[in-house]
Amino acid sequence: MGNFFPRWSNWLPLKLAIAVVFIAFGVSVGVAYYFTPKYTRVGYEPTQPVPFSHQIHAGQLALDCRYCHSFAENSGHSNVPTNQTCFNCHGQGKGGIRAASPKLELVQKANESGQSIPWVKVHKAPDYVYFNHSAHLNRGISCVSCHGKINEMEVVRHDQPQSMGWCLDCHREPEKNLRPLEFVTNLNYKAGDLKRADFYQGLLDKKVAAKDIANVIGGEGAKADDLGQLIALAEKTYGKEVTQTEVGTQLKKHWQIQPPESCTACHR
Amino acid sequence: MKRIWKHPEEPQNAKRYWRSVSELERRENFLKDLGQEFPAGDTLSEEERENGRRDFLKIMGASVGLMGLASCRRPLTTILPYTQHIEWMVPGKPLLYATTMPRGAAGATPLVVTTHEGRPTHVTGNPLHPLGGGVDSFAQASVLDLYDPERSQKPLGKGKELSWAKANELIAGAAEEAKKTGGASLGIVTGSSLCPSYLRILGELKTTFPQVKLFAYDAVGGEGRSSANKEIFGAGVKPFVKLGSAMRILSLDCDFLGVDPVSGEPIAAFTKHRAKDAKAADMNRLYVLENRYTITGGMADHRKALPASLIPAAAALIASELGDASAKALADTAPAGLKEWIAPAIRDLIDNKGKSLVVAGSRYGAEVHALVASINNALGAYGSTIELLQDAAGPELGTFADLQSAISAGQLKTLVSLTPSDLFYDAPDAGAFAKLVADKGVKVIHASLLKNATAREAALHLPAAHYLEAWSDARAADGTYSIVQPMIAPLYDGASRLEVLLALLGRKKLGPAEVATPAAAGAAPAAPAEDAAYVAVRDTFAAVAGGLDESKWNFTLRDGFLKGSAFAKATATPNVAAVAGIVAKAKPAAAPSDDAVEVVLVPSSSVFDGRYVNNAWLQEAPDPVTKLTWENAAWVGSITFRRLGLKEGQLVKITVGDTSVEIPAIEAPGHATNSITLTLGYGQKDIGVVGSDRGVDAYVLRKQPDVFVLNGAKVEALSTVAELAITQDQNTMEGRAVYREGTLDTFNKDVHFAQKTGMDSHIPENISFYKGQVGEKKDYNDPHDEGFDYKTQHQWGMVIDLSKCIGCTACVVACQSENNIPVVGKDQVRKGRLMQWIRMDRYFAVPKWGKNEVEQESTWAEDNPTPEQLENAEMVTQPMACQQCEAAPCETVCPVNATVHTPDGLNAMAYNRCIGTRYCANNCPYTARRFNWFDYNKRNPLIETKVAGITMNNLYAGPLGEKREDESLRLQRNPNVTVRMRGVIEKCTYCVQRLESAKILQKQVQRDSKNFRVPTDSVKTACQQSCPADAIIFGDLADKKSAVVKAKASPRDYQVLKYIGTRPRTSYLARLRNPNPKMPGAENIAVWSKNQF
Repeated sequence: MGNFFPRWSNWLPLKLAIAVVFIAFGVSVGVAYYFTPKYTRVGYEPTQPVPFSHQIHAGQLALDCRYCHSFAENSGHSNVPTNQTCFNCHGQGKGGIRAASPKLELVQKANESGQSIPWVKVHKAPDYVYFNHSAHLNRGISCVSCHGKINEMEVVRHDQPQSMGWCLDCHREPEKNLRPLEFVTNLNYKAGDLKRADFYQGLLDKKVAAKDIANVIGGEGAKADDLGQLIALAEKTYGKEVTQTEVGTQLKKHWQIQPPESCTACHR
Repeated sequence: MKRIWKHPEEPQNAKRYWRSVSELERRENFLKDLGQEFPAGDTLSEEERENGRRDFLKIMGASVGLMGLASCRRPLTTILPYTQHIEWMVPGKPLLYATTMPRGAAGATPLVVTTHEGRPTHVTGNPLHPLGGGVDSFAQASVLDLYDPERSQKPLGKGKELSWAKANELIAGAAEEAKKTGGASLGIVTGSSLCPSYLRILGELKTTFPQVKLFAYDAVGGEGRSSANKEIFGAGVKPFVKLGSAMRILSLDCDFLGVDPVSGEPIAAFTKHRAKDAKAADMNRLYVLENRYTITGGMADHRKALPASLIPAAAALIASELGDASAKALADTAPAGLKEWIAPAIRDLIDNKGKSLVVAGSRYGAEVHALVASINNALGAYGSTIELLQDAAGPELGTFADLQSAISAGQLKTLVSLTPSDLFYDAPDAGAFAKLVADKGVKVIHASLLKNATAREAALHLPAAHYLEAWSDARAADGTYSIVQPMIAPLYDGASRLEVLLALLGRKKLGPAEVATPAAAGAAPAAPAEDAAYVAVRDTFAAVAGGLDESKWNFTLRDGFLKGSAFAKATATPNVAAVAGIVAKAKPAAAPSDDAVEVVLVPSSSVFDGRYVNNAWLQEAPDPVTKLTWENAAWVGSITFRRLGLKEGQLVKITVGDTSVEIPAIEAPGHATNSITLTLGYGQKDIGVVGSDRGVDAYVLRKQPDVFVLNGAKVEALSTVAELAITQDQNTMEGRAVYREGTLDTFNKDVHFAQKTGMDSHIPENISFYKGQVGEKKDYNDPHDEGFDYKTQHQWGMVIDLSKCIGCTACVVACQSENNIPVVGKDQVRKGRLMQWIRMDRYFAVPKWGKNEVEQESTWAEDNPTPEQLENAEMVTQPMACQQCEAAPCETVCPVNATVHTPDGLNAMAYNRCIGTRYCANNCPYTARRFNWFDYNKRNPLIETKVAGITMNNLYAGPLGEKREDESLRLQRNPNVTVRMRGVIEKCTYCVQRLESAKILQKQVQRDSKNFRVPTDSVKTACQQSCPADAIIFGDLADKKSAVVKAKASPRDYQVLKYIGTRPRTSYLARLRNPNPKMPGAENIAVWSKNQF
C-alpha cells in the first residue's frame, strides 16, 4: 500500500477545524450585524410620491404631529392624513398657501380621482406584531423615541432599529424614555429643559405624596414634606439640571408604568 | 420530592359517558385511533396512497426547480390613506353598528356588527334590544356569506349572464305587461315572515296591480302552526312564548333551543332557571317527546323517543286528559306505554297551572297546533306563559298549493320569487313543479344570494344583496321594530328583495349605482338622489313611529330598534271551539313498523333548509348531536340499525312511494325505533365549491307541501360504506370522568356534590418546591412574589355553566369568526385535523347496563348495553377549549418557549416561535391544541388540483397547487389576530386581542392616573358574547365584583381533571337536572350522583 496522502495532509483536519471556527465566527458576526434591523432597516429612506417635507411642517412651522396623524392617541394605528387635511392650508378657498405649487399636483389629482396617494411605508412592523400607538403616547413615550427627529428630516428616514430586542430594551427600562405627557409630541424636548419646580409641582398636583416622590429620588427613607425640600433633595442627587433618569423614574413609579414583557402584549 | 401522577382509573361509582357506540363497545376502529391525537403516517386515503413515491419525486423535482426564483428584495409596501374623511372612521379602530338579521317566523335576530375599515367581520347579539343577547350559529356565520366568492354576482337569464341594463329592462317589461291585466298575470312568492317595509310596499303594489296574486312559501314549514293560530286566535294575533315564566315545559318534538325556535323570549330566559347556586325548592322542568335527539332533548329532564307519526296522538292524549273531548278519537290511537309515561307529566303540568307550557314542532300539521292551543288554554298558559300579541293583519297570502293551481290554470305569466327558499330545489316534488312552470311558460324573476337551482332556471335571476348590504327592517318576536342597515356597499351590486319590489313599481333601478355626472366647474354638485330602499324604510319608520322624528330615527339607527314599538297585547281569546273542527280533519297515522318505517325530514343544524349550503363554517361545524360534518346522513335508532345489520356509514336505500334516496346511515343513540331522520338542505348541485354535492337531497322524498313525516318507507341496506367525517371520536378524553351532573335533590342534600365527585376529594395537598408561575392565589400577592399578582395585574378566568349550556355550537362558529380559524375540508376533518378551537363534546350515557341491568360498571363492560337501553340514552354536552392551566403541562415541554405564561394568567401562544413539534399538544390532557398541517389560508382545501397529470387534493400539491384567489374571504379576517401559517400549533387564547385592547383603552382613558383595572365585566370573549344560553362567564378573577368570581364561588364549580394538578383557569359548573319522581325511569336520571354518599 502506497502512501496516498502526503505528509502535510496530516494537519489538514486540524487546519480545517480552525478554519471552520473562524469562518463560523465570522459568519455569526456578519449575520448579527448585517442581517439584523440595525443594519437592514436603519437608514431606509425611500422617495415618497409627494415631496412632503417634515422638516418644514414639523420643524420650521412646528405643526404638532397630531395635526395630521390625528388618531395616534386614540388608535393603535397612526393614521396618514387625508387630502382634506392638506387642503386645510393648501386648498383653494381655504388657506390657499402655495395652492398652485407643482409639488401638490399629485394631491390635487388624488382628490379629484378619489385614488389614494401611495405613500411608501418606512416603518413596517411584521404582520404578527401588534404595536399600539395610543398605548405609548398616552403613557409618556414620545414619537421621537421610535421615529427619531422627524422634524429635522426632509424625507422620513428609518431612524431606530425597531427590532424586538430594541422594543424589549425600553420595556425593561422605560425610565430612559418617559416624559411628561405634554411633551410627547415635542421632538426637541430634553429633560434638562424642564423646570424642576414645575415638574414636581405637577406630580404633587396629581396627589402624589411628597414622601413617595422623595423615596424615588433618594431611595427608601429619604424624606421631604414640600416642594422646596423635594427640589433640594433632587439637586443634591441629580445635580443642577433635571436629568432623564430623574423624570423617568418618577413617572414610572407614579404612573404605574409596567410595560408588558409577555408575548401576548404584541403577538396575538 | 417528585410525584408521578398516574391517571387513576375512574372511580367505581362513576357514571360512564361515551361519545359513540364504537367507544362504548371498544370497537377496533375506535381503539386504533385512541390516544393518537395526530394520527400521523398512515393517514393517507387509498387514492393518495396510489400516488406513490414516483409521483412524490416528480413533484419534488418541480418544486426544487421553482425554488430560488423568489427574489429576496425588501418588498415595497405602500400606505393608502383615505382621500376624504369618513364620518366616525378612526383607522385601526373597529366601528360597531346595530342591525338586525331578518329571520323566519320566530322573529328577527338583533345584532351588533363589528366592522374594520368598512368591512363587517364579526356579528354578535345586541344587548340593548329587548330580545337581544346571544345569537345562534346561523347568525354568527352569516358574515361569511357576505364574502362568499361564489355568491351570485351577475344577473342571469336562463343561466346566461345578462347586463344590469338588460335586467332592468326585463323587470320593467314584466311590470308593463302585468299592468295590462291589472296584475292578474303577476304572482309574487314571498317567505312567510315579512318585514314591515316589505309589507307596506306589497300593499302599494296591490294598488298598482290590484289583481296581483301573493303566495307564501318556506321550505321547512310552519304552515300548520300559522293556519291553526289564525283559526283559533284570529288574523294577526301572534303568540309570544315567555320561556322565562314557564316552570314546566312539555315539548312535542319542538327543538326550540335548536333549529326550530318558537316566537318568544330568547333561550337565555329558559336557561336562567336551570342554574341554582344555593339550595332551591324548585327549578324549571322540561319534558320532551321526539323521534331523534335534538339539543332540546339533551336539555330535557325527561325525554322519550317517540316516532314522529305518533306526536299527534300524544298531543291528543294530553288534550283529552285535560278534558278536550274532541281529542278523544285521536288519543285512542296512542300506542301502549305512552299514556303511562305521559300521565305524571300531565299531572305536573296541571299542578303548575299558569306556570306551564306545551309547545309543538313547526313540522306538524294544524291539528297538533290546535290541540296544543287547547292544552295551553286548559293549563291557563294564555296571559301567563304565552302572551297574545296583536299585529296588523297582513295581506292575504296563498299557500304553495294555491300557487300550483294558479300556474296549472295558466293564470300566471310572471312569477316573482322572493322567498329565501329555493323553489326548484326544495319545493314539494320540485322536478314536477319546475316542469309545470316551464310548460305553462311562466317567466320566473328570482333573487337569491347563491346561484341555486331556481337561479339557473329563472328567466331572470338577480343577485341578491346580503342583509349587511341593504336597507330594510324587521320585527323581532315581540314586534319591536328593528332596523336592517347596510354597513358595506353591495360587493356585487346585488339587489335586496325589497329593492326588487321597488323595481317592479318602477322606483328603483337595480345594479351598480350610477356614477354622478361631474358637476360643471364652479356649480355646486347636485345632491345625490336618495336611495329608494332607504326612503321606503324611513317612510315605514315614520308610519310605525307616528311621524318622522329625525332624532328618533337617529336613535333607531344607533340602537338598532325603535323603543316601545312592540306589538300591543291582543284582546282576542283563544277560540277553543275551533279546535274540534281542525282535529276532525286529521287522519291518524299508524305507528311505524319494520316494513313501514317513517322518515322524518328535519332542517339541518348546518345548512338549515339549504340556504346556508355554501357557508364553510357551518358545513364544518359538527352537528350538535351526530357530530357529522360536511354532509348529511340517515340517523337510525340502535334497534333498527342492528336489525338491518348496518355498519357506520353504510348506504341505505330509503324508498317512499316511488321515490328513493341512497344515503349513508349512522347509528344514533336515543333515536326512536323504525324511524329515520334525514336532514334537509344537502345534495345541491353546482352551487359552489363549498356546497356542491355534499350529502344527499332529502327533499325529493316529499311530494306534498308541509309534510315532513313520511310514512310507509322501505329501507334496504346497500353494500357500499361511505367515509363520513364524524368528529365524535376525535380528540377524546379517553373516557376520563370529565362531566358532572346531579339532580336537584342531590344538590339540595349536598350542594358541594360536584366537588366531591370522583377523585376530587382524594387529592393530596400539592407540595412542590417549584414556585415560578405556579404560585397560589392569595388575597394579596406581592408583585415580587413568584405567584400570580392579583394586585396590579388582571387575572383572567372563565366559568362554563353546564346547567345552561345547550350544546348549540354558536360559540364554535363565533370563535372561528373572531379568531380567523381556517376551514380544513372534509378529508382533513376525517383525519382529525379540525381546527376549531372550541370542541363541543357530546356524550351519551345509559343508566342501566346490559341484560342484567347493572347500575354501575367498574370496567368497560364485556356486557354491552342493549339497543333498547341505547334508545333511552341520556345526552349531555360540554364545550372544551384551552383551559388556561396555571401549571400548564404544555408549557414545560415546548423546546422553543413558544407557549409561555403571561402575568395575567394566560397560556400564551407565540405563533412565530412555534416550530411545530406538537409536544405541547401531546402533553395537553384536555386535547385542546390544534395543529396547522397545511397552509389552509393560502391553499383552498376544498378543491382538487392536477399536478404532473395526477389529480390530488390541492393541499397536497404544495407550492404547485392553486393559491386561493378568493380574495373576498380575506376581507372577513379580524385584523387583530394573526393569520397562522402551516406548521404551528394554535388554541384558544381567551380572545387575547380583546383583553389587550381593553387594557389599552383603559390606559387611554386614565393616561397619567392610576386605575388600570378594566371596568368590571366590560370585556367579553367571542364565545361568551355569542352564547344564547348565557352559559359562559368570563372576567377578571382579581376583581372581586366580577361575575366570574361569583360564579367560581358556586358550590357546583369543579375543574376538569383536577387531580392531575394543572389548576385550569376555566372551570365548569355541574349540571343540575330536575326529574319528576313520579315519572317512570326518574330514578335513573343522573343516577350516579345519588351514589355519592
